[in-house]
Amino acid sequence: MGVPSRSIWRGGLIGAIAAIYVALVGLYTRFADLELVGEQITLGRLLLVAPALVAAYAVTRPRVVAGERRPVAFGRGVLAGMLTGLVTGAVFAAAVWFAEWFGTDRIREVFIQISDPLIAFLTFDKGVPAGLPILIALSVLGGTVGGLARTAPAQARAPLAVGTLAVLAMALLQRIIPIVFVELGFEADWLYAPSRGLTWFGAALVFVAAAGVNALWHRSGERTRERVRSTIQEAPAAKLGLLVVIIAVLAIMPLLLGTVISEVLGQVMIYVLLGIGLNIVVGYAGLLDLGYVAFFAFGAYTLGLLTGAFLNTTTGAAEPVLSGDLSFYVAIWIVALLAAGLGLLIGAPVLRLRGDYLAIVTLGLGEIVSIITASRWAQPLIGGPQGMRGVTKAEFAGFNFQDNPQHFYYLALAFVILALFISWRLAGSRIGRAWNAMREDEQVAEAMGVSTIRFKLLAFAMGGAIGSLGGALFAVNLGSLTPTSFELLVSITALAVVILGGLGSLPGVVVGALVLIGLPGLLREFEEYRLLIYGGALVAIMILRPQGLIPNVRRSRELHEEEVEQDAWGVAEPDDREAVAAVLPGGGLGVEREDLE
Amino acid sequence: MRDRRYLAILALISALTLVAAACGDDDDGGGETAGTGGTAATGAVDCEADEFGCVEIAAGAPIQVASLLSISGETAFLGTDSNNGITLAIDDLDGSLDATPGQVLGHDVELVQEDDGCSAEGGQAGATALAANPDIVAVIGTSCSSSALGVADTILGDKGILLFSPSNTNPGLTSEEAHQPFYFRTAHNDLIQGAIVADYVFNELGIDTAATINDESPYADGLAAAFRGRFESLGGTITAEEQVNSADTDLGPVLNSIAEGEPGAVYGPNFNPVCALTATQGLDILSEGTVQLGSDGCLESAFIETAGELPAGYYYASSPDLTVFAEGAFYKDEFLPAYQDQFGSRPTAVFHAHAYDAANILFQAIEEVAVDDGSGNLTISRTALRDAVQSTADYEGVTGVITCTPLGDCATDVTIGLFEYPNWPVEGGEEPADAVYTDTKTLEDVQE
Amino acid sequence: MGTVTQEPTRGGQLGRLERLPWRRIILVVLSVLILAVVLVGAYRTLTLPEDQAYSGARWRNFIILGLAQGSIYALIALGYTLVYGILRMINFAHGEVFMFGAFGAFFFADAYEESGFLDSNPIASLAILLTVAMLTSMGVAVLLERVAYRPLRNAPRLVPLITAIGASLFLRETARGFFGPQTRGFGVPTALEGTWTIFGIPVDRIQVLVLVTVIIAMTLLSLFIARTRTGKSMRAVAADSEIASLMGIHVDRVIVTTFAIGGLLAGVAAVLFSLTFESVNFFMGFRPGIAAFTAAVLGGIGSITGAALGGILLGLLQSLGPALILTGYEIPSPFQLKDAFTFFVLVLVLIFRPGGLLGTGDAEKV
Repeated sequence: MGVPSRSIWRGGLIGAIAAIYVALVGLYTRFADLELVGEQITLGRLLLVAPALVAAYAVTRPRVVAGERRPVAFGRGVLAGMLTGLVTGAVFAAAVWFAEWFGTDRIREVFIQISDPLIAFLTFDKGVPAGLPILIALSVLGGTVGGLARTAPAQARAPLAVGTLAVLAMALLQRIIPIVFVELGFEADWLYAPSRGLTWFGAALVFVAAAGVNALWHRSGERTRERVRSTIQEAPAAKLGLLVVIIAVLAIMPLLLGTVISEVLGQVMIYVLLGIGLNIVVGYAGLLDLGYVAFFAFGAYTLGLLTGAFLNTTTGAAEPVLSGDLSFYVAIWIVALLAAGLGLLIGAPVLRLRGDYLAIVTLGLGEIVSIITASRWAQPLIGGPQGMRGVTKAEFAGFNFQDNPQHFYYLALAFVILALFISWRLAGSRIGRAWNAMREDEQVAEAMGVSTIRFKLLAFAMGGAIGSLGGALFAVNLGSLTPTSFELLVSITALAVVILGGLGSLPGVVVGALVLIGLPGLLREFEEYRLLIYGGALVAIMILRPQGLIPNVRRSRELHEEEVEQDAWGVAEPDDREAVAAVLPGGGLGVEREDLE
Repeated sequence: MRDRRYLAILALISALTLVAAACGDDDDGGGETAGTGGTAATGAVDCEADEFGCVEIAAGAPIQVASLLSISGETAFLGTDSNNGITLAIDDLDGSLDATPGQVLGHDVELVQEDDGCSAEGGQAGATALAANPDIVAVIGTSCSSSALGVADTILGDKGILLFSPSNTNPGLTSEEAHQPFYFRTAHNDLIQGAIVADYVFNELGIDTAATINDESPYADGLAAAFRGRFESLGGTITAEEQVNSADTDLGPVLNSIAEGEPGAVYGPNFNPVCALTATQGLDILSEGTVQLGSDGCLESAFIETAGELPAGYYYASSPDLTVFAEGAFYKDEFLPAYQDQFGSRPTAVFHAHAYDAANILFQAIEEVAVDDGSGNLTISRTALRDAVQSTADYEGVTGVITCTPLGDCATDVTIGLFEYPNWPVEGGEEPADAVYTDTKTLEDVQE
Repeated sequence: MGTVTQEPTRGGQLGRLERLPWRRIILVVLSVLILAVVLVGAYRTLTLPEDQAYSGARWRNFIILGLAQGSIYALIALGYTLVYGILRMINFAHGEVFMFGAFGAFFFADAYEESGFLDSNPIASLAILLTVAMLTSMGVAVLLERVAYRPLRNAPRLVPLITAIGASLFLRETARGFFGPQTRGFGVPTALEGTWTIFGIPVDRIQVLVLVTVIIAMTLLSLFIARTRTGKSMRAVAADSEIASLMGIHVDRVIVTTFAIGGLLAGVAAVLFSLTFESVNFFMGFRPGIAAFTAAVLGGIGSITGAALGGILLGLLQSLGPALILTGYEIPSPFQLKDAFTFFVLVLVLIFRPGGLLGTGDAEKV
């Protein structure tokens, strides 16, 4: 089955627009020199190939013909990919030619990234028009690879893709991995050229290793994998063994991975905590909370106050108006308790609100807290713009959680495990089922005797308490608190973590945090584009896969169906049965309910 | 059969990781790499005794100096500018600013750039990355005080890595309670800047009522507080202390409120665009003849772009005045042209000069304490390096005469100038960009 | 089976407790408290000694500033309310639509300022600036709808909201990448500098322009919605999109038109905003965006008059709130708290009238 030419033109054009966008937003200029492999393969050049690749990959997707899903044949797919790349390249090259002709200086008055060095980069230092054919050729190459990636036979596809991604990942981590090696006592210059990208040898090695492992895994056959899975699921001894291995790995990780990665993992853990808490509010109870930063800030500053932190002033330091001198291990529980109270306070006014109204009000409440942290009104208590420092180091048995990133990771891990456990138990309990009912249809739930008021407040309280734990750990980690750390972005990031991972899904929260916090933490070269990528990723996820990376089965069905009741014109019956079933005895978290369909 | 094989693989991997962990270096602040097997033969340097160890630089390898500055985001103008200053210092090692880098003790100097993100988290991330690298001799940074205070200064200090800031001005960093032993700065302490501006307003302009308006950055808050303290001790009256948000555009109501108190001067030591907005909106709202003042955060090209034309004698900004020294001729005639040549524009901020001085002091200290084993391998004791920097005295830098104090303030004699808009010493400013008022003070002067 | 019998009994027990009019008691107590706080604060501010109190002229200034800022909010809020009425979604990215319009106008304004055209032909240049801004904003709004919102037309409320937040971030950072992080100065024609004296009160010329433009825009919009066919189609789709499509209304086209009109209004607001504050930057849409949809919610989202009312009210709150009420309690730097104050008022309004001021007062209306 071939690809319609209209699709090729469209895909190619969109690819060209994407390439122009990448140029205008400055990614080429920024990463032109970032070497990935050797000296020739730079990130900039990879970004030149990427739009055509992605466009070709999209163009060669399987089409639905007469109700049947037909993939594109291999040969046709590669050809289509090539053509798409050609279109992209040609249009992009035309744009580059235009820019040069029109005058980069004039364009730069509007789009600041367009400069002569950029044109030089795009034409491989050969200028316009001599370098343009190379540009087009690269685009065609990208398109070909894209077509290949989509239509190549399955056995070849997976290992090749995995191998390439592994090389890309190792190349991008060129700042971090050498440090890990050095801290472990090994040399890294066979793998990485000093302060630069992968060596050719290193890249080849990584590629072969990753592709090889993947190929082996596939070759071992579906049956054996199924057997491993079923052994793990059924035999309690195997489950226990797996658990032990997981814990051992988690425990060994910081020692293996060194201080820098442990630092990043610590930050990831903090956001996992935030995600678990927000997951209770948004994922379980269905209450859209855009002001989660309130609990984060509350947890951080309260812990500081309770453990004797002091205010930064121009003359040095000052005592806060209210101050305690408790140990971290006593203070943390007080913080959680108080935060639960704050949750009740925040939940009370919004009980009757739904959907967007709830979102905006919680946003406002979050902003209120954010503004107060920087205010001079609260300065005698929490230091105003200059903030506080001297938060306790939470020392314990030789562990120093503030100065040692690897130790902090353990502390954070402990709290994460606690929170995961609490959350998991909540989800499976009567409370969890009540939340499910409430989330799916409030009115029916009320009619069934579920007190929405109580459960909403409970959700806010629990979510708040766990969120404040994240804030408290943040304070211990940093030791120093300034209001700039407590802005709207925290709420949005926490929400993104939960959504990306999958609403209502605990493993999803961990994955979401790893992707949204871990990756930017490791790839700090991309710091400037972090928010751009966040925004784009949020939109992409919502359009392509709103149930998240590791979906909760129940929720993903909800997300794919029309919403019930809460819209004026919504009309639906089938889900009532689910809502009813949720509060009947034996109601579980969704999988077993298939028989009611 | 297959299950056992998988279990065996798992066991093998676990065993390997345990072995690797056991053999791995515990981080105990050592500067040595386990692989190199002990110190080079260096009779004069006792690395074992040095609590923080030494840095080893093999013959032919570059001396790695790092910078931890704001190179991304809205404050990128600060960090890039300071990086440029360091680059010029490296260039000048061969005695001339000719775009060819020089050497220290026969070794190239490599600048490793990290981003401090102008926040505590950014400072922490950057400092952790640098602290994990045993080849870094010292760090020049940070740009923003919030990245340093309690964060970068502690993380690097715990490893004995020198942190030399060209632009931290927050007083807390060199205060008795908070100072870290490996932290120094060539930037001035804001207590001095605030005091000099207060003196100017009260004594020179003859204005005895003032209001302050700061944004929510620690920098602005600290500077405004310093101004108020000095102004009141001179006998002036503060009519209002207001605060705004950095992202606010509507400053009408707050300026209106300030106008009620009829202050003769309004001091807004903020960043842009708040500075520019207080200037333009204040024109309409404040009474005729009110003077507005800003600080080095305002003194950048963005202000000129946004504010456009303002009446003469209306707006002043304070900044370190670099033109008045013995080195003044060097700065005007060689340094600035070289900056323009190599980076394509006039400086976007003022702290490039402080970075230049910091780098040079560092290089000088390295030359003092590094021990060559005869074949070009260098060993630098971290504690000795720090002591060398701290004992810097009467060093004639571009920013003035530098003598480092035990609490880390190297800019002991701070010269602050007030520049009347639009004659500002930045890109877009009009010539002659000379200060209308200059004063030099020390920390003791302002702390009585 | 044991659990089944427990539930109804629990329901009965809850019922008894809930029969006490808790809600009403709390609401009454709350309203008395709030009223007391407001009145006491205002009283204390107004009775401050001569040297600390604001003069009459100052209060007048506060009010005018609030009205001017509020009218801009009203214009932006209209865009939010239109989209909400049709799609039941809050277009978080509307602030960025506004921002792009400002940039579009800026590049022309910059060129005209340099060439002197801005000062010599203020009316012509203003017309061009407005047109450019409207077209740019419209373009961004329509693109947004097509790429980000249309695929999610039938998704539950959460999904488009998150998409909107993501789109807002994306657009903002794109603008930073395209145009740079620096704030740029927006040229004001000399004809618009200075004040006019109306009824003996000096009012900034730009403020007059803003107020007049907002009134004109609102009138035109109301007429459009009420009289034209497209307007009627919009109302039909807002009431019930399924039935509207059954009646032969092309729903997709109506939605695009709505976004376009919202963009148009945002473009106008952008030029007025840039003239008032003489600056543009990539984050200029964020706070006004949040303020504007707070205004829309405050006034009762889905209602045009509500949006306008909410906008004006918000502007006044931000100006007078700290000045009148917070000053009385001697809160230092009260103006830094203006956003907090505004949100607080929003929470209060939504407690008492969950549908906003001009909403139906019924929680279920959401």
